[in-house]
Amino acid sequence: MYGWIWRHLPGNVYVRALISLVLVVGVVFLLFQYVFPWAEPLLPFNDVTVDGAAGSVGAAGSVAEIAGGAV
Amino acid sequence: MALRAVVRILSELCITVGILIVLFVVHLLYWTGVRADNASDDEIARLQKEWSSGSVRGEGGPAGKAGGADPSPGSGRDDGEGQPREGVGSGADPRGRSSAGQAFRDGKSFAVMYIPRFGRDWSRPVLENTRAATLRKGLGHYSRTAGPGQRGNFAVAGHRRTYGDPFKDFPKLRPGDHVFVTDGDTWYTYTLTRRPYRTLPGDTGVLDPVPAPVNKAATPFDRPGRYLTLTTCDPEWGSSHRLIAWARLDATRPATEGKPDALTR
Repeated sequence: MYGWIWRHLPGNVYVRALISLVLVVGVVFLLFQYVFPWAEPLLPFNDVTVDGAAGSVGAAGSVAEIAGGAV
Repeated sequence: MALRAVVRILSELCITVGILIVLFVVHLLYWTGVRADNASDDEIARLQKEWSSGSVRGEGGPAGKAGGADPSPGSGRDDGEGQPREGVGSGADPRGRSSAGQAFRDGKSFAVMYIPRFGRDWSRPVLENTRAATLRKGLGHYSRTAGPGQRGNFAVAGHRRTYGDPFKDFPKLRPGDHVFVTDGDTWYTYTLTRRPYRTLPGDTGVLDPVPAPVNKAATPFDRPGRYLTLTTCDPEWGSSHRLIAWARLDATRPATEGKPDALTR
């Protein structure tokens, strides 16, 4: 798949390398900016603040969990 | 030839997944900290700008009725188990002007907390509510609990690890440690009463106005007063348990008199 991308990039080797670099940076940016923040709460090892429970204004004595402190 | 292609694609997939995992760990261990530190600094800077410009803010909080009408607790230590002496020292009640009790704005910071035990420069903004997005910027105030300095329980949650590791050193807290909170008008000095208490996430009694943990032996206070509860997770990288620290309001001083001595030393 990487070979396929390489073959379909225009220009000579240097131009292709530059475009590849831009692509890599772009993908990493998207991952850090959007994908990881979205995925992180879904993973079990970071099962922290119980959604809606701790944050919600529960009635006194509600069974909301203690927000944790997340990892 | 087809086999070659299959093997190559599988290999590239494996490498890609490996890189993704490494990047994710970098994100979790490093990048969330960078982002959280920036967000914390921004929030503190915003608060200080707001406070210095002297805009009148509501600070009654969700439990404004509890604290708004009360006289400000006096400076100086109280000997009893309960509340500090009332009305001593701080003649001007800074909360008088906002006794109407306006709710904190959801997801916004309204106070700054200092815990010298965590480091001389340790300071974090306290934001309203304890959602994941809020805790990414600083500490989260349990919306249903009292505000800082108010009668009842001012409960605050923070990350133990990731997102700037605000409560990393939580187990190092000891009785007598001070927690300073300022809302721009007043400095509140809380003093820890016991070592952190380890419990399960469902033990919500710890947030009650008079904290009532499941383990009765751990009950820190036996009468109503002005308390602070800090919560974080335990173990350090897990979330199966919670660590709780309780403190009692010991002293207040108007913000105009500057930081408490312990923070300027």
